[in-house]
Amino acid sequence: MSAPAPPSRRWLRGARPSRFELSIALALVLAAVLPLGASLWLASRLAAENLALGLDPRVVDRLEATPALYGDLFQARKQLYAQQARALAQGLPRSPAAVGPYLQAALERTPRLRRAAVLTEAGEVAAEAENTAPNPEGEWREAPARVALPGGGTLECVFAIEAHFFAELDESRELAEAMAGVEALRAEIQRSYVRAFALLLFAWALVAGLLGWWLARRTTRRVTALVRATGELARGNLAVRVDPGRSADEVAELARAFNTMVAEVRESRDRIVYLEKISGWQDVARRLAHEIKNPLTPIQLAFQQLEARHRLLAAPDPAFARLLAEAGEIVREEIGTLERLVGEFSAFAKLPEVRPEPADLGDFAEEYARASPAEGLAAGLEVVRAAGPCPVALDRALMRTVLANLVRNAAEASRPEPARIHLGVSRTTARAVLTVGDEGPGIPPEVRERIFDPYFTTKSEGTGLGLAIAKKIVLQHGGEIEVGGRPGGGAQFTLSFPLSSPSAAGPARPS
Amino acid sequence: MRRAARLLPLLLLAGAALASDGAAVPVELGSRGGRLWARLDLRTAFPEELRRTFANGLTNVVSLHVALLPEGGDEPAALFGRVVEVRYDVWEERWVVQVRDPQSPRGRRLVVRGWEELRGLLADARDLDLGPVAALGAGRWQLRARVELNPVSRELLERTREYIANPPSGVRGATPSRSVLGAMASYLLHGTEASEARLFHTRAFSGREVPAP
Ligand SMILES: Nc1ncnc2c1ncn2[C@@H]1O[C@H](COP(=O)(O)OP(=O)(O)OP(=O)(O)O)[C@@H](O)[C@H]1O
Ligand SMILES: [Mg+2]
Repeated sequence: MSAPAPPSRRWLRGARPSRFELSIALALVLAAVLPLGASLWLASRLAAENLALGLDPRVVDRLEATPALYGDLFQARKQLYAQQARALAQGLPRSPAAVGPYLQAALERTPRLRRAAVLTEAGEVAAEAENTAPNPEGEWREAPARVALPGGGTLECVFAIEAHFFAELDESRELAEAMAGVEALRAEIQRSYVRAFALLLFAWALVAGLLGWWLARRTTRRVTALVRATGELARGNLAVRVDPGRSADEVAELARAFNTMVAEVRESRDRIVYLEKISGWQDVARRLAHEIKNPLTPIQLAFQQLEARHRLLAAPDPAFARLLAEAGEIVREEIGTLERLVGEFSAFAKLPEVRPEPADLGDFAEEYARASPAEGLAAGLEVVRAAGPCPVALDRALMRTVLANLVRNAAEASRPEPARIHLGVSRTTARAVLTVGDEGPGIPPEVRERIFDPYFTTKSEGTGLGLAIAKKIVLQHGGEIEVGGRPGGGAQFTLSFPLSSPSAAGPARPS
Repeated sequence: MRRAARLLPLLLLAGAALASDGAAVPVELGSRGGRLWARLDLRTAFPEELRRTFANGLTNVVSLHVALLPEGGDEPAALFGRVVEVRYDVWEERWVVQVRDPQSPRGRRLVVRGWEELRGLLADARDLDLGPVAALGAGRWQLRARVELNPVSRELLERTREYIANPPSGVRGATPSRSVLGAMASYLLHGTEASEARLFHTRAFSGREVPAP
């Protein structure tokens, strides 16, 4: 039992990348990854070398030795202070009264000495002096130095040591500890840098791949559409078309060329089908003409014999004579109609081959308009020519037949009003166009589809062959005929022919 | 610190797996409050050469992990961890020691004047709480110890991460700058078991050998 695929799955199947897309995306990923791989290797080297530079073991060693240097500095200071204190003690005067001034003088003499005091054996202060002025070296910490006096008691000195030593010591200790940590983790740090770099590269390659896929999709989707349309075409669907999109690249050009090609194939197929159909109908017309024409003469002869015998009668019956005269009229009229029909049928059946010669469509239309009043049908026939030549290959005699059929139809449609017929000649890049319009009632759309069929007519006296003949002749010229409406009401036929020479765009040829 | 305490068993297991051998050290056992207390003499872990290291004025960390294992077994019945931070104060010319273990998780501070005193303090691993004595039963047991000097601790890892995520910029005195690659690298930085550990074990003993208080 198979359930229908869920919408998401169906969507996935629809979005499954084509092989073309995949190969383009792959190419992009490769193009992104190859240099990235090289830079990954470089990055790992760089990380290793940078770490080695920043973490020179000698630097780490020196850093770690820094606190010991400060220790040495402190040691030296302590020794200096002890020495100075001993010197002070030696020079201490004997008389107690002189001790105070001596200490005061010592304070002024000895750098960094902040306080000096003589203590008795009991620990009482016998004399003291203190420097209250700010230390010239800035903030300081106390560094005590004691000297035992020979007569008992102690000399207690307090020296200043710069506080910034301690701050520096703390800072370099912290730095050394941090560096020691980094040193211990060096291999790991390098690995983590490479990992981070690889991760970034991977993300980068992923983005590049997705972007490439997205870009490729815009092109490949159109190629895929073309492939699908070609398949349709191969299966015989001539209505297929691809959307060329808005871009002006080769794929869009290909799509446009494809559409043109399909349109041309469709046209030529329609032409072939129509011509085959017409030639079938021509066969029918030939047989019908033959079958109808054959008995007509015997009928006519038989009736003439009947009339002759009656004329020879000695006592003709007047009533019968009247009847015979009426019947004769009917028979002759009907035979006349049938003969005309047979004539048109065989004319249709024996349509000659087209023998085109170089001509200018505009000149041809004007010529026809000049000659047409002879037909006595059109009250007004005006020609509007676009500037420039319209060189085409025409069989003038047959094309006159075409125009005559169209003009006659227009005149018949406009009855009882006199017809007003407009002939227009213009050109597009590849075709010359002739329009035949009238101001009659126009052709309803449901009739338009059938008017080119042989024997289709809405007229009691019509054969329905006029437009079929016209179309056959136009198609044999490699042209096309279409029916439409005129803007102000009325019917309009549009005939287009291929321009005959490639130098068609050149200046007008002398006529 | 709590995290470090939780990490201890893991480190220990790793240690125990490694501790196939190592030097034999003397052990003293005792019981207090129904619990087994051990005292190890780890003098061999702190040779004279370490004096320079300990006197360098930096913070040196000694971590001690002790496991109580059945003799010849690998499943620890009890674990104990202790972290000792030692720093020599070059002005005061003395060592400041910070000891952290389950008895004093916030640490207790000691001041030591001489190297021999410090060495004695570090080597004399006393008050190692190894769980209830009753748990020993009739089997024979052994202690295994693992001593590491300056292991890569979680704190160190954190500090190093911070350091590489905010590398000091080249300009002197400028504030450290935040770096994307550094931040990612710091996120991907893992610890390592690179620091060398010294392993020790004691003789085997049974519950009956533990003297009553
Ligand atoms: N200009 C026109 N205006 C309106 N209807 C038209 C016009 N041209 C042709 N038709 C319609 O198309 C039909 C077919 O025309 P076609 O010329 O083939 O045959 P027909 O004119 O009926 O007969 P025949 O040409 O033999 O006289 C006509 O019967 C008419 O209904
Ligand atoms: Mg007609």
